[in-house]
Amino acid sequence: MTVLARLKDMAARSPWLYRINAGSCNGCDVELATTALIPRYDVERLGCQYCGSPRHADIVLITGPLTKHVLEAAKRVYAEIPDPKVTVAVGVCPISGGIFRESYAVCAPIDQYFPVDVNVPGCPPRPQAIIEGVAKAIAVWRERL
Amino acid sequence: MTNALSILIAALLFPGGAFALTFGLALKGADRRLAARLQGRVGPPLAQPFFDLVKLGFKRMMAPTEAFEPMFFGAPLVGAAAMLIAIMLVPIAGVYAPAPVTGDLIVLIYLLAIPGIALMIAGSASGSPYGALGFSREMAMMIAYEGPIVLIAIAVALRVGLAEGSAPTFSLAGIVRYQHAHGMLLFDPLMWPAVVAFAFFYPANLGIVPFDIPEAETEVLEGPLLEYSGPALALFKIMSALKAVVVLGLGVALFMPLPLAGLAALAGWIVEMLALVLVGVTAVRVATGRMRIDQAFVFFLKWPLMLALLSLVVAAWSTMGGIP
Amino acid sequence: MNFLELFGRNLRRGPYTEPFPFAPAAPAPKRLRGRIVFDARICEGCLLCEKLCPSGAIRFARAPEGMTFDCWHPTCVFCGTCEFYCPTKAIHQTNDWSLAHLEAEKFALAEHGLIPSIVCAECGGKGLDTAPNVSKIRPPLSAEELAQLRARCPKCRNKFLRTRGKAS
Repeated sequence: MTVLARLKDMAARSPWLYRINAGSCNGCDVELATTALIPRYDVERLGCQYCGSPRHADIVLITGPLTKHVLEAAKRVYAEIPDPKVTVAVGVCPISGGIFRESYAVCAPIDQYFPVDVNVPGCPPRPQAIIEGVAKAIAVWRERL
Repeated sequence: MTNALSILIAALLFPGGAFALTFGLALKGADRRLAARLQGRVGPPLAQPFFDLVKLGFKRMMAPTEAFEPMFFGAPLVGAAAMLIAIMLVPIAGVYAPAPVTGDLIVLIYLLAIPGIALMIAGSASGSPYGALGFSREMAMMIAYEGPIVLIAIAVALRVGLAEGSAPTFSLAGIVRYQHAHGMLLFDPLMWPAVVAFAFFYPANLGIVPFDIPEAETEVLEGPLLEYSGPALALFKIMSALKAVVVLGLGVALFMPLPLAGLAALAGWIVEMLALVLVGVTAVRVATGRMRIDQAFVFFLKWPLMLALLSLVVAAWSTMGGIP
Repeated sequence: MNFLELFGRNLRRGPYTEPFPFAPAAPAPKRLRGRIVFDARICEGCLLCEKLCPSGAIRFARAPEGMTFDCWHPTCVFCGTCEFYCPTKAIHQTNDWSLAHLEAEKFALAEHGLIPSIVCAECGGKGLDTAPNVSKIRPPLSAEELAQLRARCPKCRNKFLRTRGKAS
């Protein structure tokens, strides 16, 4: 079985990221763009790259409290992501609703609708915190391969 | 028997199949690493494209309900198979000479069109509007860059053939032999327009910024590749790695084959391919932004086409009694 | 040819990338608004932080053993309002940003505190061991008077302060 284990180790070095913006204020999305594009917080060292299609994704980054408008669309896009996948909730909004918690339009926490694996609190979280969350997600994904 | 065996080895081991796949992925890894260093980042390890391929083998393969599945799954297979055959036709100067086939340069140009067509079919068979958009953009790009490459091929064939006093030679082995005897066509002033046109052609063919319009991630959500996942996507990555080796090998054979032999020739070929990638692909990719489809189309119809035409005219005129 | 200069500079100088997560991160700025820390010893029990928290992350509750403090970080927006308005800075923010956790530990990421109840030294009633708000009292209280004040219930604290000036 060691050949399979080594192949899985190789596969775990190439997790592709996909962002779902579920009604976010874009603060966390700006930080996500920062971790990918700024030379200081290069996330490509871990083998990650942002992909444009949900079908290519391995790690799903969800930002924003799930607003009622986006609920159906987010569920459909989430269903298109092939297994095995890991879900990361970035920012406090997906975990609990954050500052929008008592709004009538918000369906947070999102773990009622999606099986979340890693949470990264922060409003918005620092790029280093996001990279830490992604590293934890890669460890979870390695288990699931 | 030995002929069939040598063809099998050429297709699957060297220079096709295993060698070309490894080398193509290594070129891609070197390109990503150098692009990161040029941008001041660390970048992925050199073997990253291999890891990507292995990971894609573990993912579930899905197809949309509106997709036409025979074409949806057949397109990457056809593209990869065409490129496997195409590599057999590309000579590596001093190391590998393909079995002599009349007109193999023309066959190679035809085979080079197949990956683009595979992408187009993938886009239209996906059943998604982004796929259809990718299909139309890929068609526009192919129309734009197929003209220059055909003219470049004819110009080189004319120059080599008429200089040897006979009909234009469409045999790549013959072109390489001529350059070993008379010096590389890279240093021939009559061929410089063709060299410049080729330098514009191959980023467009390989789908590199500023010409990666059909597969734009931010504009059409990866266009034709949108609905592919798992092993089917891995086949597309294999196809593009093999295509890189074919196109760059074609460029090296047409313009700059080294007059060495044996292991030194192989090392020299590898260095030349790396140089073509790092200068023409990486530096351009990092320094520019993507063009619009109409800008790219008009650009190709203007400069590379005119330069290739100029080279053709000059090559013809030179051997009809003009410049020696 | 600006980009050629940039290429040359980047190739010569090497990458700018921080080595995190393969090496420890650079130290965070001192005033970074990070995790909340609560010190029950100096809390006055004014409950201003609970009223002002925009996302309702801070909850005080009465319990038999005293007043419990809970701040759940996955709903805190790290704005710093609680620290700004706290009179004694019993609640304050550290610069700890490293809060990423697995889903199973979601509810473990909270800051708890307890202000214990006391039995009043004077009347025997129920009170809380909160720090007294005596910054504006003149003349200032000595340490022994503070300890006595602390051991009383709110009514007896007021009586103590009123009779303090006249007892000499």
